[in-house]
Amino acid sequence: MNFTEDQVERYSRHIILQDVGVEGQQKICDAKVLIVGTGGLGAPAALYLAAAGVGTLGIIDGDVVDMTNLQRQVIHHTPDVGKPKVLSAKEKIAEINPDVKVNAIQDLLMAHNALDIIKDYDFIIDGTDNFPAKFLVNDACVMAEKPFSHGGILRFDGQTMTYVPGTASYRCVFKEPPPPNAVPTCSQAGVFGAIAGMLGTIQAAEALKYIIGKGDLLTNRLLIFDALKMNFRTVNVKPNPERLKIDKLVDFDQAVCDIKKD
Amino acid sequence: MPLTFYKNSDTLIAEQDQFEKDIAEFVNGDMDPVKFKAFRVAHGVYEQRQLDTYMIRIRCAAGGITPRQLRKVAELAAKYGSNEVHFTTRQEVQVHDVVIENVMNVIRGLNEVELSSRGGGGNTIRNILTSPDSGIAPNETFDVDPYAVALTTRMISEDDSWNLPRKFKIAMSNSKEDTAYTQATCLGFVAVEKDGQQGFEVYCAGGMGAKPMVGHQLLDFVPESKVYHVTKALKIMFDKHGNRRSKFSSRIKFLWKKLDREEFVSLFREEYDKIKDDESLNLSLETIPNGYQAADIPVEVVDSSDYDLWKTRYVFPQKQEGLVSIKIPLQLGDLLREDADSLCDFLEKMGENTIRCDRAQNMRLRNIPEKYLGNLYNVLSRLGMTLIDYAPFIGNMINCTGAQTCKLGICLPRGLSDAIRDRLEVSDLDLDSITDFRLNMSGCPNTCGMHHIANLGFFGKVGRVDGDMYPAYNVLAGATTGAGTTTYAVRQGDIPAHFIPDFTYDFLKVWIERKKDETYESYNHFLDEEGNVLIKELCAKYKVVPAFSEDPKFYTDFGAKARLSLDEIGTAECSAGLFDMIDVDKKSIKTNIKALNAGEGDEQDVLYNILFAASRMLLITRGLDVKDDVQAFKLFQKHFVTTNLVDSSYEDLVRLGEDQNKTVLPTHKDRILKLAEDVNALYSNMDDSLRFKTESGDVIEETAASEVIKVQEHDFRGVGCPMNFVKTKLVLATMQSSEHLKILLDDGEPIQNVPNSVQLEGHKVLSKTKVDAYWEVLIQKA
Repeated sequence: MNFTEDQVERYSRHIILQDVGVEGQQKICDAKVLIVGTGGLGAPAALYLAAAGVGTLGIIDGDVVDMTNLQRQVIHHTPDVGKPKVLSAKEKIAEINPDVKVNAIQDLLMAHNALDIIKDYDFIIDGTDNFPAKFLVNDACVMAEKPFSHGGILRFDGQTMTYVPGTASYRCVFKEPPPPNAVPTCSQAGVFGAIAGMLGTIQAAEALKYIIGKGDLLTNRLLIFDALKMNFRTVNVKPNPERLKIDKLVDFDQAVCDIKKD
Repeated sequence: MPLTFYKNSDTLIAEQDQFEKDIAEFVNGDMDPVKFKAFRVAHGVYEQRQLDTYMIRIRCAAGGITPRQLRKVAELAAKYGSNEVHFTTRQEVQVHDVVIENVMNVIRGLNEVELSSRGGGGNTIRNILTSPDSGIAPNETFDVDPYAVALTTRMISEDDSWNLPRKFKIAMSNSKEDTAYTQATCLGFVAVEKDGQQGFEVYCAGGMGAKPMVGHQLLDFVPESKVYHVTKALKIMFDKHGNRRSKFSSRIKFLWKKLDREEFVSLFREEYDKIKDDESLNLSLETIPNGYQAADIPVEVVDSSDYDLWKTRYVFPQKQEGLVSIKIPLQLGDLLREDADSLCDFLEKMGENTIRCDRAQNMRLRNIPEKYLGNLYNVLSRLGMTLIDYAPFIGNMINCTGAQTCKLGICLPRGLSDAIRDRLEVSDLDLDSITDFRLNMSGCPNTCGMHHIANLGFFGKVGRVDGDMYPAYNVLAGATTGAGTTTYAVRQGDIPAHFIPDFTYDFLKVWIERKKDETYESYNHFLDEEGNVLIKELCAKYKVVPAFSEDPKFYTDFGAKARLSLDEIGTAECSAGLFDMIDVDKKSIKTNIKALNAGEGDEQDVLYNILFAASRMLLITRGLDVKDDVQAFKLFQKHFVTTNLVDSSYEDLVRLGEDQNKTVLPTHKDRILKLAEDVNALYSNMDDSLRFKTESGDVIEETAASEVIKVQEHDFRGVGCPMNFVKTKLVLATMQSSEHLKILLDDGEPIQNVPNSVQLEGHKVLSKTKVDAYWEVLIQKA
């Protein structure tokens, strides 16, 4: 344990916690987390994980910051419009906590690169905004036996679950992506900005709990909330051995309206 | 017989023969690198940062080396190393860049001139230092060199000097001015006179390093005849009570901290009183003649302003009339082979006792007749690589070798030193007005560059911008030296490496002006009133490093070929030994059990490996070194099974190993695993002095157990809530279960909160005692 005086102060509120303590904070400082997508979910997750001192944060996103993102993607600020999202995020992370090493990848997670990208990380956060990507993250993590947190939001609703090898995966709950255009996307249906923060921070908390090895994760449980009524509930789910057998990765069709027209 | 500064032990040649075999075994791949490290470091052979390249450190007691010896070292450096003799900050010399095949050639070559690298590293009595002007200084109390020489010869002949808990450093000063820095070393002797009798004031438990401590007075006076008795008593006490478990807190300074003055002194006295009246132990001192020894050679007359300037800068009078001493400032401590030869040609005519190494990586010449100064100047001006044309300030700068050769280094202080020199050389500063200024640099928090005793010091750290690392240094200032008055430099801030030359210029400009105006009574007075604030302001001025994309130069250290990287940083070479070797077997047990569970490998081989590792693992704690498997089983049987350290029912199992009867091992699988478990348990119950708790039966067990308890002490007064609790947790995290921790807390909120919080985490609060306005709390780790 080699914390500097500054680090001792910075992480003191963690160190005080019996379930985190010196050892837990050391684990956090040694951990590597990949956040797929630096949008509504990835933004708050990245901010809190950086603040917590996660040693290495990988961020992957192929997009640039758009004016419409600013309503909920709180890691990006008005002057960042037009800037690659990963660069904008990297700058904020460095400001929050210069101890954190950031691997910024300006690209999309695809079947051909997914395994290679996730292999260096201890935990993966799914902060993507479309079904093909969500299934790809799931499949890649199951194949590589990497724990990950699934998350999704739409309108006033959110859902999340955590996978660690041996527990139910996202695919155990939802067999395959819905047909393109069957489910509206955020850009069509809208999203209540604050719920991105609610869900992204749950995902960050799950990642940190996994790293320190304390508490009960959202494994074999799907957490669903409705922010309009402010109701939370968890649904028990079971691993389905058939759906945990993944032997190759596929790039599913993207909803037509989501493909950039330019 | 030629003059030497110590006499090698009678067993040295046999030890070298053994080491030669060890090297061969290592080169053939038959010896684990960790085990080899323990052997080679004890022979003063350190691995450099470049793979398979070694440095050899040569003992020079009292910093003394004769021209004949220096010539030989230079010859060996040219033949097998980097062509340079390196002068260190510990008054000894080193040969660098030696490949493994040539290590023995260097070591055997040294024998020809009675020099040795034995004890250049490892947990032993290291090179004994003295004031570099001892024996010639006009104002000295008396010459301490003969004591250092006799003590070295005695200590390196004693078997019990070679396996101490950690290194043991000794220094001797010829006056209270303490130019040997006795308070910054494990054991220090300062020459004093009391009632007309010559003797020493004794300091101990000082040390620099990452956790610097100033030494304490152990004895206010011992007669000069007791030097050996004091050293021997402290050595025995250190051997008995020093902490062998953690190489990071094993130096004598930590023992003092653990025991407190009273107990430390009483343990010392216990040993000292046993031997102090035994006059047969007195050292046999031989005077080292300081006097006119030169042959008659023609006098060369030099008449130039450069010569006059050199004389005022580098020539000093001796107490012996007509003789002078001369300082030769070396560039980064290096002397080229050719330069060594030319110098030795001249010095051999001047006598044997003419060279000392000092603590600033420079050479000191002595006993040179004043009339031959012109001759010497002509020799020096023809040398390829010295700093005689620079102001003494430049040559006095001290730096460690840094990350170029050292595996621990972060920064490259050699490059920084050059950069500072280049910056100051073209400046308007009058460096001759600050001749004695000590500017010291270390590449990492270890103190090879002696930054703790600096007037202005730097030690390396890593800075980061956006996760990109750049070389940086912490800035310290304001050490005081002197027997009984030593204080270390205090950290004032940090600064990127590339700004240090400008920083140094800015800072010295102000100090030189103030010094000229006599504004302050001393440098430290200047610091208190103005200097420390100035340092902080300059650190703020030179704080901002441009992003890598804007100016990459900041990210590459002075003299480095590539960007700063910490990939190759290793662990300390010097503390190799016992525990690393135990770990080899511990790991072997673990990986073999894993293989066993996974069904990998041949079951009987895997079980044999476990049985063997379990048997060998702790033999080293009994001082037993084994050469082959069968011997390991035999020794384990004798020292562990028949003594009941492990259950005697394992006898037949160990015999199977001894008989190499592998085929039946699978039927004893469970017992083999249990034995491995028992050995591991025995190890975790071992105390600092390598005793096992169950060793001597029940009654002893109780005393042994109570002796085992280590008490760490930390002062958290002035630390507010909740940081005091955070810091307590940090300390507890480094401790073993059931060890004790004593903390000091302020009254009020801290004492109301911290003990409760500690208890809530499962630890025991053994006592809370109010002392004056604060509290002492004793905690036992859960």
